[in-house]
Amino acid sequence: MQSVSEKLIPKDFGYAGRFFAMASPCECLVESTERKIANRVMHLVSHEAWRIEKKYSRYLSDSVTQKINQSNGAAVSVDEETQSLLNFSDQCFQMSDGLFDITSGVLRRIWTFKPDAAFPTSEQVKELLPLVDWKKVNFSGSTITLPKNMEIDLGGIGKEYAVDRAASILQKEFPELSVVINFGGDLRITSAPKSRKSWVIGVESYLPGVKRGIDLTVGAVCTSGDTERFIMHEGNRFSHILNPKTGYPVAGAPKTVTVIADNCTQAGLLATLASLQGSDAEAFLQKQGVKYFCQR
Amino acid sequence: MKLREIRLKSTIFLLFGLILSGCSSLGVEPWERDLLAKSQMALVADPVEAGLDDHIYFSKEATSGGRSFAGGGCGCN
Amino acid sequence: MQLNERKSATYNRVRNNNVAGVLAAATAILVGPSVKAEGDFWDFSKDWRFDSAVLYYGEQDRVSALEGVFSATREVDVKDVFNFKVVLDSLTGASPSGAIVQPGEQTFTRPSGNGQYIVSAEEIPLDDTFRDTRLQLNAQWTKAAWGESTGSYGIHFSKEYDYLSLAFNGSLAWDFNKKNSTFSVGLSIANDTFEPVGKIPDPFSSMVIDFGQFPTEDDYRAAFNATRIDSSDDKQTTDLLLGWTQVINRSTIMQFNYSYSNVSGYLNDPFKIISTVDGGGIATDHLFESRPDKRTKHSFFWQTKHHFDESIADVSIRYMTDNWDISSQTIDYRHYFWVGNNSYIEPQMRWYQQSAAEFYRPYLIDGETLPEYASADIRLGEFSAYTLGLKYGWKTSAGNDMSVRFSYYKQTPEDTLSSHPGVLNNLEIYPELDAFFVQYSYSF
Repeated sequence: MQSVSEKLIPKDFGYAGRFFAMASPCECLVESTERKIANRVMHLVSHEAWRIEKKYSRYLSDSVTQKINQSNGAAVSVDEETQSLLNFSDQCFQMSDGLFDITSGVLRRIWTFKPDAAFPTSEQVKELLPLVDWKKVNFSGSTITLPKNMEIDLGGIGKEYAVDRAASILQKEFPELSVVINFGGDLRITSAPKSRKSWVIGVESYLPGVKRGIDLTVGAVCTSGDTERFIMHEGNRFSHILNPKTGYPVAGAPKTVTVIADNCTQAGLLATLASLQGSDAEAFLQKQGVKYFCQR
Repeated sequence: MKLREIRLKSTIFLLFGLILSGCSSLGVEPWERDLLAKSQMALVADPVEAGLDDHIYFSKEATSGGRSFAGGGCGCN
Repeated sequence: MQLNERKSATYNRVRNNNVAGVLAAATAILVGPSVKAEGDFWDFSKDWRFDSAVLYYGEQDRVSALEGVFSATREVDVKDVFNFKVVLDSLTGASPSGAIVQPGEQTFTRPSGNGQYIVSAEEIPLDDTFRDTRLQLNAQWTKAAWGESTGSYGIHFSKEYDYLSLAFNGSLAWDFNKKNSTFSVGLSIANDTFEPVGKIPDPFSSMVIDFGQFPTEDDYRAAFNATRIDSSDDKQTTDLLLGWTQVINRSTIMQFNYSYSNVSGYLNDPFKIISTVDGGGIATDHLFESRPDKRTKHSFFWQTKHHFDESIADVSIRYMTDNWDISSQTIDYRHYFWVGNNSYIEPQMRWYQQSAAEFYRPYLIDGETLPEYASADIRLGEFSAYTLGLKYGWKTSAGNDMSVRFSYYKQTPEDTLSSHPGVLNNLEIYPELDAFFVQYSYSF
């Protein structure tokens, strides 16, 4: 296992520590000048991130996700944590009228989001579309039965879930300590900071040298989409947000949607669902009564 | 097209290609922009002061511009 | 694609209006309870930023100027910025007329033709009639343009009693390589009109000086008017700017610019004269200067900023060359040091050197054939200059930025001629320049 303790960087507020997990650079800002505390925080957070990555990565052959995906139509019994994640995914599918679907990962086989990537043919999309439908999955609480060739992917909530899990571990051990947990831009503040009113969080912006930001005392921020990943077709720009019902990218989606919410999972899902609304992203977020920022 | 012209053009393209490929290995990831995002790190951190300086030197020297446009002057030179 | 468009119109709606509420309950089961979020985005739509500054500029025994700037910037989005700037300055004092220094007292006619000024022996002739107020207005818009580019366009207006400058500019910038590289192209077109009191003098015509040789005032007027051609004249400036900005690493950013500038039209300074001297170095006449009506310039500019642990270094180098044979080098270095939590100190250094225009002459020799062009304006001569400055800035208790700056600027002319006729060998014929400026800035 990697060690993170020697990577602690002293800051005016305390310490910053970094590690790598879930294909993203991860960072914690700890408002404490005690090196021991910062070390303990880094240990707890990084081990939780690596545990979740190991358990649910679709790239690791002994992960729960792989076990389900390679079940070949057989029922797989799952542990309590996996049950609650699948339960949550099911709730999200229901409330989003099918826009959030953990079986949509198979579409990645034909979609590559680079400006010069090939746009798939409608035949290719038609062929894959029957494999995307959570309703076809038989989930009975403790076992899951996935039809042949279908796949599930918890990547859509994995990082956010990991941030929130790490946050609740820290809240138990250090209830008064303010830590910013940031996994590749999805972040959460465990407790209000003491030395200042709020943490200042930068938001990715177009122009170098231009400051964008959020003043956050406590809560979570997630961003859906990024300005680098898109595909061009007949002169139109399509974001990498795929609609699981059509198998196509959503037209008219903002380049990025950033949402503030109480926890990371909530912020992440609101941002994703807003992106799926395309040109109505802002109207959707307005209706939900959350604080947001869309870059178009 | 004359041979010399073709050679010149291909040299320019080659140079441009070299700059592009050279620059693509430089730079940072979006989340590493913490220092660059500071207002003091903007290339022109104080535009008002830069404007005042430009006006002084424009009226006292034979050179103007370079950083930005030189034109649009005043009667001082 | 038609299929998709039609489908997406009906398939991507979430009917539930309370997704946030349902999510709150669902995530509470998944990851446990969470405190209500407290925080907000910086509200850019309401965010006007105002920058103001006052600058006093003073030269020893010569020009002094007071300049005030007020700038308002509204940043709705990173790709939607509007800036409006007003500059007001007033200038009084004397500046070198171009005439040669003499061992005796000299008399000159004021540029308007009304009255005279006397220059003492061994003094550089200074025209003390400068008194002007200038108003400058700028507006600049930055907007997202087609594709992934950013467009910026602006207008510039500057008005003095005898001068009007109007300019338009437009530029486009493209980001590459995760926005670590930016390429930009810009164009600026300016039109300047000069309408001096006493009209535009005919190049190389002699300054008419009333030593009592005119029987009447009308005779003097007639002689003066004979040296005048037009009441106004103008010049056009076209600038092309190509820029490359490169992020090198987390703490270093660089910029390279090439600019081409083409100026044509009336490029003389109607107030500048050049003396003709005899073999003994004694002035025999003063002619109005004559410059070419075209100038093309090429500039190369490189700037680097580097963030150290506690400070930021800012270095830039500029090289300029033009078809008047002027070439110049500029090095600018400033270093920003954070002092404590709320203040900073910034030493500023600048060094500048230019070679003379091919038609620059400190004087002309009486009796020799007139060159095609000639000017004794020291700003076209060979000289070097340096600026030393110190800036101190701090945050007020209300969170606004304030700063003061003191600078000293010195120009040292270079004599490129090996010898001078007669008395001129014993005189300081090139005007030196010592100036200082004080600036106070306030942003809110």
